[in-house]
Amino acid sequence: MKTLLPNKRMIFYELRNLLGNFFTLFFGIAFPIAFSILMPSIITRDLPENAQSEAIITVFVTMSMVIPMAVMLLGYAANYAQEVENDVPLRLDLFGIQPKKLFVAKLIAHLIFITIAFILYFFVDWIVLDIKMPNTKMIVLWISCLYLLAIIFFMIAHGITTIVKKFGITFAVTMLLYFSFMILCGMMGITVEQLPKALKNVALLLPMSYISKDFVGIWDGGSYNYAPLIQSFLFLAAIAGILVLLGIRKSKRTQGIYQKVE
Amino acid sequence: MLTIKDLRVTYGEQIALSIEEPIVIEAGDRVGIIGSNGAGKSTLVKSILGITKYEGTILTNLRQEEISVHLQQNNYVNTMPVKYIIEMVLSVNIKKDNKLQELISYFNFEGCLNKKYAHLSGGEKQRLTIILVLRKDTPLVFFDEVTSGLDFETRQKLMQGLIKWYDGKNTTLCMVSHYYEELEQLVNKLLILEKGHVIAYGTREELFYKYCGKTLYILDNNDKNKEFKKQFKSILAPEHLIALTCDTEEEERNLTELLIHANIDYKRSNSDIEILSINAKAQELAKVEGGSFVENFVA
Repeated sequence: MKTLLPNKRMIFYELRNLLGNFFTLFFGIAFPIAFSILMPSIITRDLPENAQSEAIITVFVTMSMVIPMAVMLLGYAANYAQEVENDVPLRLDLFGIQPKKLFVAKLIAHLIFITIAFILYFFVDWIVLDIKMPNTKMIVLWISCLYLLAIIFFMIAHGITTIVKKFGITFAVTMLLYFSFMILCGMMGITVEQLPKALKNVALLLPMSYISKDFVGIWDGGSYNYAPLIQSFLFLAAIAGILVLLGIRKSKRTQGIYQKVE
Repeated sequence: MLTIKDLRVTYGEQIALSIEEPIVIEAGDRVGIIGSNGAGKSTLVKSILGITKYEGTILTNLRQEEISVHLQQNNYVNTMPVKYIIEMVLSVNIKKDNKLQELISYFNFEGCLNKKYAHLSGGEKQRLTIILVLRKDTPLVFFDEVTSGLDFETRQKLMQGLIKWYDGKNTTLCMVSHYYEELEQLVNKLLILEKGHVIAYGTREELFYKYCGKTLYILDNNDKNKEFKKQFKSILAPEHLIALTCDTEEEERNLTELLIHANIDYKRSNSDIEILSINAKAQELAKVEGGSFVENFVA
């Protein structure tokens, strides 16, 4: 069986490819860091001192989700859609670089990039903001959720791009999703609880909502009902999986050439 | 190596390609695929590569990665320096691969390695894919209008590069081109397509003999030569030329003497692909369309 694992050269190639994308660099690194530093100084102004620490943690946790959303959903979709529109993946496929292997190489490169982005984000915010250290269980849970989100957003972006195949439409759809997620999941200043009932029901289907509203409450530990969070992850992952499968189906090469002469 | 049977490609109502008689391409064959625009040449290549939907059977004993292709349009990541594209596609380090360095040097590509793909000229982009395809060194290679849009000098250089690279190798080549003089240097078989149908497929020698006779004498199409032509057997030729055909050495000797005597410039050929293709199309289509095609063609 052929391995799906790309070699180091492919991963470095995809990292270079990613670094050539302005969207990813700006929205994936600069924007969340700048926003997470500026937001607390605005929202804590009218809060009593004992509520300020909690507000800072909420902003810190919520803005951390912007990194996987911006890098995977926006940045990757923008970059990959341009490639698909120009038949670059097909060109590489015709050189024997399987689409599945390319997908894995791109995913690994993006996971390396968001790891660097997370480190920068945590490091800068830790220095600038007065953030209380969470307990170990919380750190593991939070980071796991961020990486899971990253993989799911990557799959959604990949699926949409391979189905749509046009840069303009892909970018419009992913931008719409990005801002919808931001609004629904408490990343634009409106909390999930403040949303109208119908929108709140939609928001509660998404794991980002639970991360933004619940994680501050278990920052120091304590019990937590994981079921809604896990269900929402399963729901989003199922949608991502369906999109990827539809994309694979749409871009599959015909099978005739693989018929062998006995 | 490759067998195509009952192949049919349709775009909506229109038949883009229909191959009824089996086409067998053997190892080491160098096949020139020719025909007018819309004849189905690129559709055939795309069908073999599995990138267009078709009905029918394409059989091969090769794995997908043992086939490489230079398409009409070849794109890579615009922001990527070319050396990283080469190293990724070929999975090699340029500095450690002597064959690759030779190719880069032959195609004067050293100066392009650090350029981003978007900054390459049209000719440089063509050279990049040619270098990649040649270095891949697969048993079956397709070139789809590899020199289209390039100036004469660049075309010559590219073709010389291809000829040199494949000299003495058993690689099977399928080359789509509108430049017959390029094909004459490289191919030993021809597949002539027209309006999605196969006009002829075979070795150049057998097709030439079938449609042009043993030898051709090609003259300029002027009044003096038109008059001269009347005494001999002629076949169809491009508008600016006259093609006289000979079936025996005796006929050739007589014609040569008369041409010298009449002080007429001529070119002798037993391999002219352009005239072969014109006559193959005319003769085969005349069988189908009851001769009306030839009259229209000549007119």
